[in-house]
Amino acid sequence: MDRRDFLRTSIAASLTAPALLEFMASAAAAAGTKVLRIGYGSEVQTLDPIKTVFAPDIISQGMLHERLLKANADASKVGPGLAETWEISDEGLTYTFKLRDGLKFSDGSPLTAEDVAFSYSRMRFQKDSAYAAPFQPLAKIEAVDAKTVRMTLDRKFTPFLTLCEIWNTGIVSKAAVESMGDEAFATSPTVTSGPMKFVEWKIGDRVVMARNEHYWREGLPKLDGIEFIYVPDDNTRISMIQADELDVTMAVPFARLQELKDAGLDARAEPSSATYDMLINHEAEPFNNLQFRQAVSNGIDRQAICDAITFGNGVPANSIMSPTLDYFAKDLPLIARDVEKAKGLLAQSGVATPAFELIVNAGVTDEQKAAAIIQSQLAEVGITVTIAEIDPGQVWSQLIEGQYQANLNWWYNETRDPDNALRWCVWGAGDNKSYFTRYNNDQVNKMIDDAAGETDPAKRGALYAEIQKIVVDEVAQVAIWHPAWSNVYTTKVSGLSFNAGSQFSSLDEADLAEG
Amino acid sequence: MSRYRKLLYRPIEMIPVLIGISFISFVLLQLTPGDPARLMLGPRASAEAIAAIHARYGLDQPIVVQYFYYLFNLVRGDLGQSLAFRAPVGAIILTKLGPTLYLLAYGLVLSVLMTLVLAITAAKQQGRMIDQCIRLICVIGVGVPSYFIGLLLVLVFSLKLGWFPVSGYGRSFVVNLHHLFLPALTIGIAITPILTRNLRATLIQQMGSDFAVAGLSKGLSSATVFRTHVLWNSLLPTVSLFGVVASFLIGGTVIIENVFNIPGLGLLLVHGVLTRDYFIVQGTTLVLSLGIVLTNLLIDIAIVALDPRIKM
Repeated sequence: MDRRDFLRTSIAASLTAPALLEFMASAAAAAGTKVLRIGYGSEVQTLDPIKTVFAPDIISQGMLHERLLKANADASKVGPGLAETWEISDEGLTYTFKLRDGLKFSDGSPLTAEDVAFSYSRMRFQKDSAYAAPFQPLAKIEAVDAKTVRMTLDRKFTPFLTLCEIWNTGIVSKAAVESMGDEAFATSPTVTSGPMKFVEWKIGDRVVMARNEHYWREGLPKLDGIEFIYVPDDNTRISMIQADELDVTMAVPFARLQELKDAGLDARAEPSSATYDMLINHEAEPFNNLQFRQAVSNGIDRQAICDAITFGNGVPANSIMSPTLDYFAKDLPLIARDVEKAKGLLAQSGVATPAFELIVNAGVTDEQKAAAIIQSQLAEVGITVTIAEIDPGQVWSQLIEGQYQANLNWWYNETRDPDNALRWCVWGAGDNKSYFTRYNNDQVNKMIDDAAGETDPAKRGALYAEIQKIVVDEVAQVAIWHPAWSNVYTTKVSGLSFNAGSQFSSLDEADLAEG
Repeated sequence: MSRYRKLLYRPIEMIPVLIGISFISFVLLQLTPGDPARLMLGPRASAEAIAAIHARYGLDQPIVVQYFYYLFNLVRGDLGQSLAFRAPVGAIILTKLGPTLYLLAYGLVLSVLMTLVLAITAAKQQGRMIDQCIRLICVIGVGVPSYFIGLLLVLVFSLKLGWFPVSGYGRSFVVNLHHLFLPALTIGIAITPILTRNLRATLIQQMGSDFAVAGLSKGLSSATVFRTHVLWNSLLPTVSLFGVVASFLIGGTVIIENVFNIPGLGLLLVHGVLTRDYFIVQGTTLVLSLGIVLTNLLIDIAIVALDPRIKM
């Protein structure tokens, strides 16, 4: 082979090799024309509803797995879903759900009470179920007949119905899960009950779904399919919707919402149940000191921070609970910044060296910005804040082990009922130690339990108002602002909105205009 | 073929290199704080669910034991299971190989074409305006990071002019010539300046060499001298340099795939690092290193083929 032959051969090889690989890697496309393309910044990790508490999983599972009850578009109410009616026994311990007639899975097989009991049992009792905690009162699940499911609680628990709508109660096919096994089902749930059926999951790229012909709502869904696409880079995700390569772009930086609105896109700030807060470690100095906590709480300007981060797409936090939750204490006054008062509290606290380290997730611009503002505002009070940017993977470990002083963090609630939210962030009796703050007030714990067992809305309201007041007074965590979800839709998309609980609950009614 | 004989030993020499890389990537990841199971399931997951993941993937074993399991499986051709996706790493990497190889090959072809055109033009017009312009462009090209070039290309050619898609990977070879043009061009812009400067300098040097002057004095046209003598003799240093640049480039796909959202190995690697998906990171690193080692082998073969005097 002389050198020219060599070059000729190598050029030919370099041209044909990719073509062959391409051929090998070619894959099926979603059928139909009205395929909604949604771009999200994190990657789906499992399609099994009981195995996750991770946002992209939760969103995609809402498309695939239907629940007993269904939330309306803005999640303000839950109503009939796969269950048409339900009865609660007089003592409030037995819930009997009646399924609709003729329910089917995406493969045409019947969906029965057996499948519902199976789905709830694995969610509640299987060892690797990720989020069984809110369902602790649920003691027994039985299929009474083909259309009737009876669930028995071990205590009165008013929030139960709202929980029958959340992602991990999605109904899966007993036959499919048992024949495939959990692991295979998690990556290719070929039988589904939701508006979409599973087509393909291209790992690291997208989940492809197509219309479920057997979906229980007559004539729905309107869409032919959905592609849930992983686009980690914010700028790329925005460019893609501008170039019509996406129909929906989620979690757009607030700074760019207005620009996209001006460009004719439907850029929305959708109400969210999220709270951004500074988690503080009550077991470590200096936050084990009440006056010090109050000095910090009075020393920051919540309105200014909120405006700087959300550009008007959020509200400063007067309560740790989001205004989108039931029983939100709207009368609780917002703590206005008062440097003199904060200095007084700091003096009273007797903390010798008023300083702490504030951990933020590395690479999250909003958090860096908020931390810098907090740092300068508290400097005026006389508190030295050191900002530590740490990789998110390590932040979780430090929070769980209690190896931190303060951390900027956020959480949201999947239901309108506040029980879950409060148990998550201030109920010291839980596994997560009040979202790792180690805040533990027996009176608050008891009031949360009492409110959950109470059926009279007025009495529940009074309890929740009291709880919110106490945890703000005691600075259980420093709630700072409630952001909106920032999502951008093209004008071709109709009937779709993202609800406060981080779900597209109107997905089956959503439509996409042609062209 | 005897000139190539020594190359036969190269694959054997690669084995310790790859073992070393696997060991270093394994240790570095283990030393990085952060529990993959927690990152996978999030803060709300119960301790039992976390423990179940640890047991399932052997993360509760001592690190040394984990490494030997990993090596043992590697020898059998098993790259392990992805923690985040609960699927075999080998299969995942295979689906990502196509886009990355296509992108690299396309980028290299564009780079070679651009380099030849720019370097030959500059060398032939040495010292004139056009040469100065090309040299200036090269200086700028070397200085600007590819992340920025990528964004700029998207802004102008996709969003303003609408000529090319912003993202992704098409479904056929021909479609991708269009689809991946901008990312390939980004690669081209990143490495062409380095190659052009090198080739231009060598061309100028060779044009004044004794054999070129001898050719001209024998009555050959300057075009013939250039094509048959100067160009071929000038390629050698550029091909060697190409090997260095290509290795650098394979690492650079991480950035370019991120900007253009191409579902290839680079994007997979970033996701793997962020989620502490140990086996994805190790598998991807191993495949990328293998790519670099193989590229260097190919370059060596090319050099032997181009220069009859060299024996390996």
